[in-house]
Amino acid sequence: MGETFSWWGILSAVGVLTGLGVVFGALLGMASERFKSQENPLVEQINALLPQTQCGQCGYPGCRPYAEAINQGDALNKCPPGGDATIHALADLLGQEAAPLDGEAATEDSVAFIREAECIGCTKCIQACPVDAIIGAAKQMHTVIEDECTGCDLCVAPCPVDCIDMLPRSKPLTQWQPLVSATMIIASDRSYTGSEHARL
Amino acid sequence: MPAYEFPGGIYPPERKTHSNQAPLQAAPLPALVTLPLKQHAGNAATPCVAVGDDVKVGSLIAQRNGMISAHLHASISGTITHISNQAITIEADGHDSWQTLPPLDWRTDSPEKLLERLDSGGLAGLGGAGFPTYIKAQVAEHHPIDTLVVNAAECEPYITADDLILRSYPNDVLEGAQLIARLCGAQRIIIGIEDNKPEAISALKQALPQIQHPATIVLKVIETRYPSGGERQLIKKVLDRDVPSGGLPADIGALCHNPGTLLAALHAVRDGKPLVERIVTLTGETISAPGNYWVRLGTPVGTLLNSVGLMPDRLHQVIVGGPMMGTPLTTLNSPVTKTTNCLIAASVTELPPAPMESPCIRCGACEHVCPAQLLPQQLHWYARAESDSTLAKLNLFDCIECGACSYVCPSFIPLVEDYRLAKQRIRLKQIETAKSEHAKHRFEFRQARLAREEAEKQARRQARLAQHQKPAGGSTGNHATPEVDLRSLRIAQAAAKAAVKKAEKVLARAAEQDPKQRFDDLETQLATAQENLKAADARLAKARASTTQKETP
Repeated sequence: MGETFSWWGILSAVGVLTGLGVVFGALLGMASERFKSQENPLVEQINALLPQTQCGQCGYPGCRPYAEAINQGDALNKCPPGGDATIHALADLLGQEAAPLDGEAATEDSVAFIREAECIGCTKCIQACPVDAIIGAAKQMHTVIEDECTGCDLCVAPCPVDCIDMLPRSKPLTQWQPLVSATMIIASDRSYTGSEHARL
Repeated sequence: MPAYEFPGGIYPPERKTHSNQAPLQAAPLPALVTLPLKQHAGNAATPCVAVGDDVKVGSLIAQRNGMISAHLHASISGTITHISNQAITIEADGHDSWQTLPPLDWRTDSPEKLLERLDSGGLAGLGGAGFPTYIKAQVAEHHPIDTLVVNAAECEPYITADDLILRSYPNDVLEGAQLIARLCGAQRIIIGIEDNKPEAISALKQALPQIQHPATIVLKVIETRYPSGGERQLIKKVLDRDVPSGGLPADIGALCHNPGTLLAALHAVRDGKPLVERIVTLTGETISAPGNYWVRLGTPVGTLLNSVGLMPDRLHQVIVGGPMMGTPLTTLNSPVTKTTNCLIAASVTELPPAPMESPCIRCGACEHVCPAQLLPQQLHWYARAESDSTLAKLNLFDCIECGACSYVCPSFIPLVEDYRLAKQRIRLKQIETAKSEHAKHRFEFRQARLAREEAEKQARRQARLAQHQKPAGGSTGNHATPEVDLRSLRIAQAAAKAAVKKAEKVLARAAEQDPKQRFDDLETQLATAQENLKAADARLAKARASTTQKETP
């Protein structure tokens, strides 16, 4: 028995294992330091679900600050432009209960329009626009780039002459969607007259 | 060569004899045409005429907008009476005077010239999808093409337009095929045709020996089974090649064209005639003179059907396209477009409305007939549950919407309708996501710009302060922080530099992969990184100025 037992064996085993632990620990430590991501990945994921209108209706200056606040434990239901869809997506992501929207839901997609005859060129709306969608210069008429406008209406309040309207956005024909009845719960909801399904 | 098999398929009643008995005729000229600006896949065309302009047949009235789009030409001579966002209306003057382009010879003229003609002729695929032909002919730039497949299968019931085209103009269609084959570099042309068109087959057999140059033409007669006219299905059948999921036939060296498109291409090149008319099958039990007609684009469906003897009291519905994949019209004022291949004026006994939908009994019949080897039942559940990620996993976008599953469903579930809705919903969602992503980048750029402006302002202020306070001696601030500040600022500047380099690399890589695309978002990201770098530089300069200011006294 005494021949199989040796201190040297035990010590070398402990030494080797400790050595391996140190080496791999150092490797992992270096890797975590080297490939450290600057952003919090969860905040990024939350931010991706927000509509990015940057309207500030949640009480935060933009979508990203709100995403950070949600990560800190703020309520999910403060985003009117996103509506129920966003609340549900956030609740799914964070494993929380979906609460009803706090505030009025956005009725339709709108776009800012400057009545150019009345614009005095004060540049206040340009400073308010979170996505640089208004062009113009001091004492020159301003105008909104429709494609870039997110419809956040942050430019409406600063205008000293109230020449900015929020108008419904025209939808291109390619994005047309047929209306479907929300209640297709039981089969008999399907009406004979409404059926346009051709069949031989 | 043996014919290969695609999975699934059905055998619906053909009902082609309604319309393939009469010879090809010309429909009467309409008094008024409405030409939609978007009759093709891609962007709508932009009008280039004004109300009150006089136009001739073939005058350009709307120009293509962007790469994937097509020109639009007047289809009658007369006066423009209305231009809206969607369509241009022309009132006829009754003269039918033409404005044609100079004729070209497809054998001798340069490919660039021919491509330019396909573009200026406003050609789009006449089979149904309406893809601009000049783009399709240029596909050889990215993918080597060895075979041009002429899709003459025409598998949908009722439709006989391609049948009549091949019977009436076999030589012209084959010449058109040679023209496209020359442009895309195909060595071989295969005509895939179902065996229910014996007259067209014999006409082709007569014409074939004369037109075997430069590409060799092979005729392949295949068994009649729906949907053998699907692009993927036909390629499988005649070439035994599988188009990859989410890919194009060009990925496997094949190109598929409809005989009508080939005929129109030849007319545009040889005769200089832009695409202003097409052959439409007018059929159904409520028409007294069914058949195939040359119809000017933009002709209202109502007047067209009336001219061939529509019986309005028996009419139940008018379907554009075939009974399997077509859509019912809600108004007879709709115009004939470049993609209208068939109009079925059906009585109620002919195409009765679908019975009431029952729950799915999981019989699996839909799965057996699906030509794309999908799981229609699963797609049905998940489409109704709006579970979009699962739908993507089940390859919803490989569905060709052929309607075979709806046809065999014993519970009369409108499966294809579900899939179409789900596809539309997913596409809209993608557009929304892209839009919000775009807004996010612009917002980030603005934030970076404001930060940079602020930092530069601070730096300038510090510089001014330093000049003023030099004689008075430095302020007695804390001693440790400037050092730490300087170090962290230097790190921040290095990080900003790395971010700029990374953004540049991403943009360069994207541009290399697809040089024709525009990369607004990536450019904005790069600009944001550059602003951040400038801000970091300014902050660093300011900190340096303040430390030197403290050290000097």
